[in-house]
Amino acid sequence: MPPSPSRSRTWPTVFLFLAPAIALLLLIYGYPIARSLGLSLMTQNLGTQLEPQFSGLGNYGRMVGDGRFWHTLGNTAVFTIAAVTIELVLGLAIALLLHRKFWGRGLVRTIAILPWALPTAVMAVGWAWIFNDQYGVVNDLLQRLHLISGPINWLGDPALAMVSLIVADVWKTTPFVSVLLLAGLQSIPDDLYEAHAIDGATPWQSFWAITLPLLMPQLAIAVLFRFAQSFGVFDLVQVMTGGGPAGSTETVSLYIYATVMRYLDFGYGAALTVVTFLLLVATVAIAIALLGRRGLRQL
Amino acid sequence: MTSSPPRRSPAIAFTLAIVLLMIFCLAPVLWQLITSIKVNADIETIPNIYWPSRQTLSHYAELFVRRPFFNYLFNSGFVAIASTVLCLAIGTPAAYSLARQPIPGRSLILGLILIVTLFPYILLFLGLLELARAFGLGNNYLALIVPYTAINLPLTILVMRSFFQQLPRDLEDAAQMDGYSTGQMLLNILLPLTLPALVTTGILTFIFSWNEFLFAFTFMTEESLKTIPVATAQLSGASQFETPYGPLAAATVVGTIPLVMLVLFFQRKIVQGLTAGAVKG
Amino acid sequence: MHDLINRWISRLFNRGPGRSRSRPLFALAGALVGMAAAIAVTGLWHLGATAQPSDAPVELTMLLHVPEAQQWRTIADRFEAENPDLRLKIIEGPSATNAIEDLHTAAFILGDSPYDLIYLDVAWVPKFAAAGWLMDLRDRLTPAQLAEYLPGDVAGGRYRDGLYRLPFRTDMGMLYYRKDLLEAAGLEPPETFMELIAASEQLQRSQGVDWGYLWQGKQYEGLSAMFAEVLAGFGGFWVDPETQAVGLDEPAAIAAVEFLQRTIASGISPPGTTTYTEPETLRLFRTGNSVFLRNWPYVWNEVNRPDSPIRGQVAIAPMVHAPGERSGACQGGWGLGINRATRHPEAAWRALEFFGRADVQKQFVLENSYVSSLRSLADDPDIQAAYPQYRTWVEILDNYAVLRPPVPQYAQASDILQRYLTAAFSGSMTPTDAMAAAARETRSLLGTA
Repeated sequence: MPPSPSRSRTWPTVFLFLAPAIALLLLIYGYPIARSLGLSLMTQNLGTQLEPQFSGLGNYGRMVGDGRFWHTLGNTAVFTIAAVTIELVLGLAIALLLHRKFWGRGLVRTIAILPWALPTAVMAVGWAWIFNDQYGVVNDLLQRLHLISGPINWLGDPALAMVSLIVADVWKTTPFVSVLLLAGLQSIPDDLYEAHAIDGATPWQSFWAITLPLLMPQLAIAVLFRFAQSFGVFDLVQVMTGGGPAGSTETVSLYIYATVMRYLDFGYGAALTVVTFLLLVATVAIAIALLGRRGLRQL
Repeated sequence: MTSSPPRRSPAIAFTLAIVLLMIFCLAPVLWQLITSIKVNADIETIPNIYWPSRQTLSHYAELFVRRPFFNYLFNSGFVAIASTVLCLAIGTPAAYSLARQPIPGRSLILGLILIVTLFPYILLFLGLLELARAFGLGNNYLALIVPYTAINLPLTILVMRSFFQQLPRDLEDAAQMDGYSTGQMLLNILLPLTLPALVTTGILTFIFSWNEFLFAFTFMTEESLKTIPVATAQLSGASQFETPYGPLAAATVVGTIPLVMLVLFFQRKIVQGLTAGAVKG
Repeated sequence: MHDLINRWISRLFNRGPGRSRSRPLFALAGALVGMAAAIAVTGLWHLGATAQPSDAPVELTMLLHVPEAQQWRTIADRFEAENPDLRLKIIEGPSATNAIEDLHTAAFILGDSPYDLIYLDVAWVPKFAAAGWLMDLRDRLTPAQLAEYLPGDVAGGRYRDGLYRLPFRTDMGMLYYRKDLLEAAGLEPPETFMELIAASEQLQRSQGVDWGYLWQGKQYEGLSAMFAEVLAGFGGFWVDPETQAVGLDEPAAIAAVEFLQRTIASGISPPGTTTYTEPETLRLFRTGNSVFLRNWPYVWNEVNRPDSPIRGQVAIAPMVHAPGERSGACQGGWGLGINRATRHPEAAWRALEFFGRADVQKQFVLENSYVSSLRSLADDPDIQAAYPQYRTWVEILDNYAVLRPPVPQYAQASDILQRYLTAAFSGSMTPTDAMAAAARETRSLLGTA
């Protein structure tokens, strides 16, 4: 411990420095979560003239029999697992590529993070155009390559709409993953590889023996961030498919949004929020436990 | 820049991979650009035209003449810059405090700050909606500026804190001997030092605030107060049976240009901030 | 001390001491100046655009979905011409009407809706009224005035004891059929579901017509409206407005689902039906290769345009029904309400009076093929000359109108129904199971479990 100045002198500045940030975080993060917890025990909807009435765990009971809730949860899981897995593999490949030295690497790296920086909602409009059933460029290219005989209605078919969303999400967020992993690669000393190579290992072997284990912390962080973000995906889905066709791409966050903003069912919306929150916390906790203490320390 | 790559593979395969990567990243954006300068007849034609012989700026004209896209740009820019300034002003002292001052329960505070960076915004939606109602902030820039500031605080605090920790303590000791108060020292001596870090986190905040959709979509219902992402997503044609593909593509280009510029100028900073925020946290 | 600072800057960023500050700072300063200039310019432009003199006329704001925003132009101009102290600002919203509903909802929830006049779909009234967003108009209109409107349209504007919507135009679902094809085969227009299936199959076989019956099967509000008609035709009900009882799992409802399912399974309706909304079915019908179409009045103008291949070959009838039951015509339609928190209640009321006038509505009807909510226009010679079938429309509505459940939670109830209808059409659930689940969830929603 460094010798600290007397408490009486620093306390006012500590308070002044820290209090605004803490207060704002409590207001914007703390209040909504606490409020959702409280409101989830109430029925407050059009049936009660928007007046809150205590209903205990009624909202949670309703969720059990709510087919749409389970359906959206399934959609969210499919989207999250598929998108995050592809992004990890692709992100790692891109990071390995960008880790090499080549002419114009700076420019390539710049372009490689571009998708991440662009507004999701705006590019969702662009992706909807790319997947357009009549004039979309995806159909045009596939037809030129004779991979399909006629245009495909990408956003009109339940399974293909989900595929389109995942493609757009992979495009948008793989750069984030590869930036994280590239930083990890750069922190691995070169002599490790050299020593391994002298021992007669192939590059493929040293990838499994050195790169992957030493990259674990970054991989874990990437998974954690991407999982949480995909689990709450809203703008991409809202703009590209609106949750359709036939609810096949509706995610939990779209359902929460509709419950609150369209149905004015605030109590039930709060209960959905709380359950989503708990699911997220539980998954993250399990992930951290699986990473073990070593991984946790490196986080 | 002396160490050689760990291994060498056929140059052709490598070049091909780089080219594919470039296409993957750029093609969706370039396709919007091409679409936006095509005449309507060329947009709605099969097979697609990849190199339009006729070009037009009419779709852009439509955005700025028939629709208030200057307004939308202003709204996005104003909200993003205000959030960025506010976030740095609130986050930097807090980061300094967490780096240097004796705080009871500091690791708890840091842990909580780290955890909230994982929160999807939909979890905040219902509560923020109530706050916006309670304070009468509907159709008020503050309804966006305040949440954007708060949402970017954790990253700002974590990145700035790690920068402060790298500064030498003797600097502060010297300043205190010179009779600076903590506030003066932060403002006059440490701030110039951390300017590069401020730029890094500021750019990330700006990008987030420019791009945010959920709150902008909900809290701004007046046409003249909408931000670019919301306005683009809600752009519709003159009739129910016609989608304005040209203006939509043009709007996509307009909404992304400021960010493309940011990335071109500040690529290094963005990477630095992203990795620092995620790894050093 | 300066030395110390410089040394640390260079160490942090691994740059030579000379370059260390200038480059990032220049870039930053340049970017900031550029942005500040851009903001100043757009800001001034913004101010200039919104500045108004203090004696400016009162401006009323109204949000309309895309086609109607254009169609309202002429009567809005006339309103401004006749009321120089008032301005009507029409905001052009998205084309999907449920997106308009969402925009209004968000604006009202936030407490300061910018819209003074609310153009209301009949299905929104209970929700908007229950939430307390609309001005109660019952004291402003005498029973005699209300009697000038179609009773179904007036009923659609009521919630509990209040009246929240002045009817403007009405809508009803009906059956369009190709009289030339039926005549050629010597068939009468069908009256029952079985007759419709028989006529379709016969014409598909004998006349080489592609499709017998076109309807809207996509998961969206139009599916609920269409189903409400078929359900009524089988003698069933969705939600009883008096008792809130739910009838979706009763035999009539299951029969209705089975009928619709059968049209697709037997090739009378195209396999893509489950992705069709009104425009897709209209487009198919207009190509001339289909016999029957369920749709709204606006279709009349579309099929009789000069470039239409089936111009003059189309007739209308009430929707078919089961033997011994009555046809159903889903009542749609739009009217005007007033934001309860408007700053200009009197001006808004003057606007309602203006747009409720017979001569204004007549102009709107003649310019667009819509049906006015005013009963007197059915006898207007100009309208009859322009739309020979106009009186039939009004008669269909008078005799067969079916209201979608006037409950505040309607949007949610409709989504439940749509979801399970889609599940039944796609074959992932049997009609009985799907409707049992739909009924259960609807009861849970309405608190009548």
